[in-house]
Amino acid sequence: MIRCLITTMTLREITNLVFLFLLYLLLQILILRNVVLFDYAFCFVYIAGILLLPPQINRSAFLLISFFTGVIVDTFYNTLGMHAAATVLIAYVRPLILRTQVDLPGQEQRQVLSLNELGFNKFFRYTILLALIHHTTLFTIEASSLTLLVPTLIRIAASTLFTTICIVLIQFFTRN
Amino acid sequence: MGELVEFIVRSRNFILFLLLEVICFYFIINTNNYWSASFFNTSNAYAAQMLTWSNSVQAYTRLRDVNAELAAENRKLHEELTRLQQGHPVAPTAYQADTVFANRFAYKVAKVTNNTTQYANNYITIDKGTDDGIQPGMGVISPTGVVGRVKLCSANFSVVTSILHSEFRVSSKLIRAADIGTAKWDGVDPHQMKLLDISRYKPVYKGDSVVTSEHNSVFPPGILVGRVRTIGVQPNMTFHDITIDLSTNFSNLSFVYVVNNKLRQEQEQLEKQIENEK
Repeated sequence: MIRCLITTMTLREITNLVFLFLLYLLLQILILRNVVLFDYAFCFVYIAGILLLPPQINRSAFLLISFFTGVIVDTFYNTLGMHAAATVLIAYVRPLILRTQVDLPGQEQRQVLSLNELGFNKFFRYTILLALIHHTTLFTIEASSLTLLVPTLIRIAASTLFTTICIVLIQFFTRN
Repeated sequence: MGELVEFIVRSRNFILFLLLEVICFYFIINTNNYWSASFFNTSNAYAAQMLTWSNSVQAYTRLRDVNAELAAENRKLHEELTRLQQGHPVAPTAYQADTVFANRFAYKVAKVTNNTTQYANNYITIDKGTDDGIQPGMGVISPTGVVGRVKLCSANFSVVTSILHSEFRVSSKLIRAADIGTAKWDGVDPHQMKLLDISRYKPVYKGDSVVTSEHNSVFPPGILVGRVRTIGVQPNMTFHDITIDLSTNFSNLSFVYVVNNKLRQEQEQLEKQIENEK
């Protein structure tokens, strides 16, 4: 995977990517873990670290990275497996979303997933779709039955919006 | 056989995906088994360390509220403590403190908004005034000891005469020597005071606690003033020359408690009647 990345990226871009990835993870674990708006909207901004990895990354490696990210977040939420399951799922469906929603121009060309490159419309659609899938999986597993269907649905909708807005805002401020 | 290998290679990502999801759900279902319970949760040493660190940072943001809560709690405990102490004084069994007397002290929390220590006569401003029931003449103590006495009140603020004031005297008691004297500031060091009127024929020990005595109507008895630092003898005098270290650090005073002795006026009125005969 590293060889595959290095052929298309400079070292600086890789360190940048790793740094941002860790930053999202720390932000999630240390700060956003305690942030809940109106008892319904949770913010799982760490999925940005997964979503913003370059599209040409090796898929198996990508799945494994997602799995371990999920396990780390689970460790801090005391929900072993839930975040991992949701994160692995979005990692698996990401190429599909990329193909249908973002329509990347040609696989050979180097592509960076960011607000600047994709434009607000595409980036927002891409983020909200994957956030929706992630949160739906997560909250459904967490509820583990249909008895709390309405609160779970509200939670999914509110959290998806919250997470998406956070990711887009962070993109706005880290443009350079 | 070749086709099978080719199939596996072709759909290796899907197989990996399924495998990972199966692992995840195995975790979810067996979340109570020993292995996961002992490692992949916040009791994991690394995770716990990180959370402790993060909490220690977050704790600073909450200090203001925590301080206010603690001050309020202290106020309640102070009141309870003086009530219990005054209800059961060290006295002959025949003596019974009545409840009005035992309950005479009430406390209020206030925050220091202005404070001096460098002048010969120092004053402290606090953020509670007549609207909160503060009246001139009430005593002021801090969590660590005696602070002063309310001098002036407006609706929302009060000025307190600090014990670092040339005219301020506190009737004080040495605990081990069991002698009563007067504590007074000599105007030099805001961390030290003089203790006057202790007979030189009484043994005084270094480090002995100096507390407010029963002989005053402003402070509850037993509030710490300081500790004996040096003992000297005044020439041609029958008193010790005692310097005490103040227990309260006046330079970082934050929350104080205003003590209201509900029977003070009654006591002072009564005592005033014999004032002329003295």
